[in-house]
Amino acid sequence: MLIGDYKATYAADEAIFRSWPVRYGFAAMVAGLVLLPFAANSFIVFLATQVAIYTVAITGLNILTGYTGLISLGHGALVGVGAYATAILANWLGVPFWVVIPMAVAVTAGVGLMFGLPSLRIRGLYLTIATLAASFIIVFVIEHWGSVTNGDSGITLAPASVFGIDLVSDPQKYALIVPIAVLAVLFAQNLFRTRIGRAFIAIRDSDYSAEIIGVGLTRYKLLAFGLGSAYAGLAGSLWAYNFLALLPTQFELQLSIIFLAALVVGGSARTLGPVFGAVFVILIPEMLKWVFGFLTPFNPTIVEYTAPANTIAYGLLIIVFMIFEPMGLAAIWTRIWRYINLWPFSP
Amino acid sequence: MKVDRRTVLKGTAAVAATSIMGMPAIVQAQSKKWVFAGSSPLTGPFAQAGTTALKDLLDWVEMTNDSGGIAGRPVELIHEDSGYVPTNSLANFKKAMSADEKPIFYSGDSTGFMKLVAPELNRTPVLCGGTSFASDLANPATNPFQYIAGPTYQAMFDILLKHVKDNGGSTVAFVYSDTEFGRDPIEHGRKAAAALGLKVVHEEITKAAGAEVQTHVAQLRRANPDFVIMHGYVTGVWPEIIGTARAFKMETKFLGTFWGMEKVIADAVTAKAGPILDGYAGVLPYRYFYEAKDSPSYSKFFAFKKQKYGDKFPGYVVTWSLQPMFSHELAKNAIEATVNADKEVNAKNLIAALGAIKNWDSGGYMGQPVTVVNHSVPQGRVYSYSAETKLFLPVSDWIVT
Repeated sequence: MLIGDYKATYAADEAIFRSWPVRYGFAAMVAGLVLLPFAANSFIVFLATQVAIYTVAITGLNILTGYTGLISLGHGALVGVGAYATAILANWLGVPFWVVIPMAVAVTAGVGLMFGLPSLRIRGLYLTIATLAASFIIVFVIEHWGSVTNGDSGITLAPASVFGIDLVSDPQKYALIVPIAVLAVLFAQNLFRTRIGRAFIAIRDSDYSAEIIGVGLTRYKLLAFGLGSAYAGLAGSLWAYNFLALLPTQFELQLSIIFLAALVVGGSARTLGPVFGAVFVILIPEMLKWVFGFLTPFNPTIVEYTAPANTIAYGLLIIVFMIFEPMGLAAIWTRIWRYINLWPFSP
Repeated sequence: MKVDRRTVLKGTAAVAATSIMGMPAIVQAQSKKWVFAGSSPLTGPFAQAGTTALKDLLDWVEMTNDSGGIAGRPVELIHEDSGYVPTNSLANFKKAMSADEKPIFYSGDSTGFMKLVAPELNRTPVLCGGTSFASDLANPATNPFQYIAGPTYQAMFDILLKHVKDNGGSTVAFVYSDTEFGRDPIEHGRKAAAALGLKVVHEEITKAAGAEVQTHVAQLRRANPDFVIMHGYVTGVWPEIIGTARAFKMETKFLGTFWGMEKVIADAVTAKAGPILDGYAGVLPYRYFYEAKDSPSYSKFFAFKKQKYGDKFPGYVVTWSLQPMFSHELAKNAIEATVNADKEVNAKNLIAALGAIKNWDSGGYMGQPVTVVNHSVPQGRVYSYSAETKLFLPVSDWIVT
């Protein structure tokens, strides 16, 4: 039973940071993010930037799948749309990143809406298959529309520039990408305190019931696809400015599956779920490499088992979470903070 | 003799000074070992090739260090798995370049990585080789720090088309996978065929794996070319195409490029499906390892392996290993040339030294003296497989394009 959740005002009920540990925890996290580039080497900063990009992408998937119940296997390809739209628009128009990023987001939202149209007629497994088809179609178009996307050869773009300074080093790119990611997560948190967010949740819980109580399914399902795709477009845009070179193969089905797995482990329908999911998929391989690297002096051939161990660890963790903590890492995190908040009266 | 602190310090200084005498001054200021880093596909679709090649590469490093290292300094090899995912390789690269001891050479494991890393190399330059033969990379203007340890796929097509012409062929078909790898040399191949007076009568695009082979072969049968050049495959599709064509009684001769030329795969196909690959030919930039009598480098590696593994060493090193070994030989050559010129060992000087390699005796890896052109080594020889001897045997001279 949930205890210690007493609210005396509507404002308290709607607050983003509902308790002091959450408030201070968020402040500590922001401080940590600010200090990280000064304390860590460029590889750690690179990984943190990747976590931020994945967080934005998975947040988009969370809106679509976690909150609205529309499972998508095309999310990785939509990130590709955002990335390619960024590179193409930047190369064609030569406009700065702060103009390109919203344009790429709009393009991706439009593409996402188009592929979301089947959701008006089908759902569940059939919709999943439709989004799977979208994934293949998008990657095929990127690969074969060579005159625009440069096809298999990939595409490059100039780095984002702020006051004439090109953002090429890892700390510079981190400084651009991480604040945008934090704002994107906060926007998502706010979204579910609004009419739109609650409509999404109503559709997920029962679309028939939602329609009966006045939620327009056409509008809100398409809106969910549009918003989820916009997040994918934003992630793609940040991806483009982080890597500065893109290949179609980066956005194949595997990326969508990674996003979905991250959402399951991180915790769907929770704001922090995508953050934990992104940390999980980016850091687990590195942690395993570190462990095996530590063991190498004792057994030089153990490095051969790093990769299988990686796959096994992914699989096992997903199974463990599905069985023991279907709400994901975010739920464990919430319980820890609740315990701290109620201490010394914690259950 | 009284040994005090001052004596010890003087003695230590004298030993240090003596040990570094004879080394060019600029090198004395640099690291005491050469750090080589790289990514390998230890998992994923090319895990078999990646794990085998890494083991051989580690032996190559051990052998090199046993022989005194490079310019008197040992090599340390740092390798990580990429799963053949370019983004993973890029992360590995970032990790290597952010380490305290930065590598002076990085070995990539895919064309995708070589393209993704290009912008990074502008910021953190390092000599960069790899397993890719992608034609785009043989361009010092766009890829100033990258090189190819052999001919590009386009150069391989040139060699094969010359072979077709020399063997009386007049029509040719291209069969290639619907991938960047597969499409790389096709447009160039059309032009090269036309220049040689050969007619490209058909092109068949297939999946890289799990292709509908019978449908593709039916199309080839209708076109009935003298030769078919297959490209863009490693272990699959190409043997099935040849097997199906043989079942259809096609007389067409089949040719392949580097990744379709591994004896281990050809032997496995022969053991499973019979002598369908008999007469299959293709281009290889390096000698096969069983030609060690013509290669002092191979003989030395053979002796090293035999001493280390005894009877466990089967006496054969796969072509997948020869390629990265030759890539590292080129890097070694560039380091030695830079050190001997008393220049700082950095990416700019190393790639300049590598680009200046001319008429170098590679110790038998290649049949002709090695001259680097546009950061690639455009030479190769056509070998044909014999199902009876289970060997690829040369059917052409070494061809420099």
